Amino acid sequence: MRPVVKNGIGVFSPQGFLDGNSSRSFLSIDDLAATSALKVDMILVSLKRVVFFNKNGLDAFIKLFVKVRQSNHATVGFCDYDDKKYNTIKIFYKDDINFSLFKTIEIAYLFSSSFKNQNKNILLYSEDKSQRTAMAIELHDNGHNPIIAPTPEEFKEKSSKKEAYDYIIDSTFLGQMGQKIATRVTGNAIIYSISSFLDAEIVNKFNIQYHNNSLNVGFRLFIFDAYKVISMNVHALNFFSKLASSAAEYNATICFVGMTFEKTPEVFKENLEDSGILFYEQMDDILQNKELLSELGASSASNVKSKRVINKKIVTELPRFIDATVATIEMMTNSQAVKQSAQVQNIDITDKTDRIASSIGYYGDIDGMIILVFPKEIAKKACELLIGERTEDMEMILDTLAELVNIVGGKIKTLLSDEGISVNITLPRTYDNVDSLLEVIEGRKGVQVDLSFNNDKFLFFLTR
Amino acid sequence: MITKDKIDEYIHKIPPAPQALKDTLALLNAGELVKASKVAQTDLALATYLKELVNKPIYGFAKEVTDVSQIFGILGVAGSQQTVYNYMTTLLSPGKWVLFKLNARTFHELQAKLSKRWEQILEHLSIDDKNIFSSITLLPASIIVTEALFCEKIDDVNLLRSAKNLDYNTILTRLCGVGIFDICEQISVKWEMPQEIAQIIQASSGLKPSKDEKINSLGKWMHLLLFYELSQPMFIEAGLNDFIDFQIEYVGDIYEDFAALMEIT
Repeated sequence: MRPVVKNGIGVFSPQGFLDGNSSRSFLSIDDLAATSALKVDMILVSLKRVVFFNKNGLDAFIKLFVKVRQSNHATVGFCDYDDKKYNTIKIFYKDDINFSLFKTIEIAYLFSSSFKNQNKNILLYSEDKSQRTAMAIELHDNGHNPIIAPTPEEFKEKSSKKEAYDYIIDSTFLGQMGQKIATRVTGNAIIYSISSFLDAEIVNKFNIQYHNNSLNVGFRLFIFDAYKVISMNVHALNFFSKLASSAAEYNATICFVGMTFEKTPEVFKENLEDSGILFYEQMDDILQNKELLSELGASSASNVKSKRVINKKIVTELPRFIDATVATIEMMTNSQAVKQSAQVQNIDITDKTDRIASSIGYYGDIDGMIILVFPKEIAKKACELLIGERTEDMEMILDTLAELVNIVGGKIKTLLSDEGISVNITLPRTYDNVDSLLEVIEGRKGVQVDLSFNNDKFLFFLTR
Repeated sequence: MITKDKIDEYIHKIPPAPQALKDTLALLNAGELVKASKVAQTDLALATYLKELVNKPIYGFAKEVTDVSQIFGILGVAGSQQTVYNYMTTLLSPGKWVLFKLNARTFHELQAKLSKRWEQILEHLSIDDKNIFSSITLLPASIIVTEALFCEKIDDVNLLRSAKNLDYNTILTRLCGVGIFDICEQISVKWEMPQEIAQIIQASSGLKPSKDEKINSLGKWMHLLLFYELSQPMFIEAGLNDFIDFQIEYVGDIYEDFAALMEIT
């Protein structure tokens, strides 16, 4: 069994009865290796459809948790349970719980670095005071507004006013949390939170794929929230210097906020400044200064014209890219595609009405970016398969679009792999209108293929 | 990916029940065990299947049983009818399994386990009805239908399932408006199975509760039994654990009773 990954969280969903025999069968050696290699913030096991479990049944997954933590420092634990299951797990493991428990997957999302669930009012309660505090700190760090209920009576009273809160958290336990670097997005700036001692481990903790994807899709300002950094060694210094050099290729800016050099050699600051990194004392010094934001490149997602051109190798593989895209959309919408035209040109979108778009990057033996411009109607059809109903909710449509593009990326990866070409794919970015897409890719030359699905026009654009 | 036309074509291609089986079932229905066993012997594949099935450990016979009349005698009318229906279901199974890691032996194992435990459940519920006894035989047809419809779309389905935790029944229903258990119902009609069997199977999907209280209760027991078996290592490794969604709320009120009966601790 493999986990389904969404928004940086991988979730296993076993069903039925979990005992010592069965749970081992859920996880083959290949599954363990594949899960450990995932670049995710969390690995969770959903108990939603588990009717019975015993300690031996959970132990097989806990062994997986240990392996995952050793390899990629992700947060691990169980989710989707009722109070009875929660209390049973607490009894099984008593004071030896080094994994997390999230009552629902939605609550788990609040503790992940996913930027989609931000600024939420969250009521939380735990009978353990240190847990209450730990949860509040994590939630605050992730950009939420936690409200602690110190007693069960107060929790009961406050939770009766459901409309006052976006989320209510109880029966949740934070074990050892992931040590990944949390990421959030504010406008067109990306903020990474770093803390404690920065050493060679920064290479494992920092999601370089996410960062590269962000650069590729047009983000130009990256802020490291370094208030909680105690010190930095030479390995971390080298890492940030290299990061700054690669950012410079995109004309992007990297800033450190709140970094003190009491326990870090002052010469490191000079080295970092030489690499192009800027230092600010307060986050608001940047975020509240529109002029500075504009200067640093965060006022828009405008893109520096890519000097790289589409090459023969990519054009040779073009049929595979198109096949993957067409097959996926045909599968998701149960419709037939007709190819209308294909040519090398700057992207040309004649009809921008009711169009949404998404881009996904790939890198490895070959690299580039695929852009798909959809009529909203196609995305809505895909929604019918993924969520089971038609929706007008734009956020949900874009979310579905991202999943669809992710599937396209996965299929491309498989098709290229069959040809001996190894690539990885980045996270998809979605655009709720064509103009914001054009801000990012205007001027880039690529291959444009116009397709039609049941008379809905659809555009595929492959660029670098 | 999969269209309604493809489903119709699949159902159309399902052959009617062979005459020897129809005759065997008619004689069993009339309580003519000896005559039924004689007709059953004329179908060599059925005779072989019967021997293989009843000699599985779960049937608990100390000595190997080889004679069809002896098998029918031991199983009785209801047990024999159930076994013949089990055989009919295997007629649908593929020569080679692709989507699920199954083979003829493991599939027969699943049939045997479901059948024996269903018998245990019906005894517990004090139900003595040969049609209800046989209803369990149609349940594994849901696995065969899934295999048949999705085996050529494994890569597509895997990609879809890597992005969203969707079971095969949901995918099929959203694409074509027809679920796996609807197809099972159509098979039962084609094979002229008693209507009660189709009703219990529909309820056992956990998605279409029956208004008939008795049928609905049996549907719950069957749904839970299915997932009890699909939680066994052999069937988890075959990829069956999540082929349909387990509706945990649906079985909530019978779980304790089930756990006590199956001695789950």
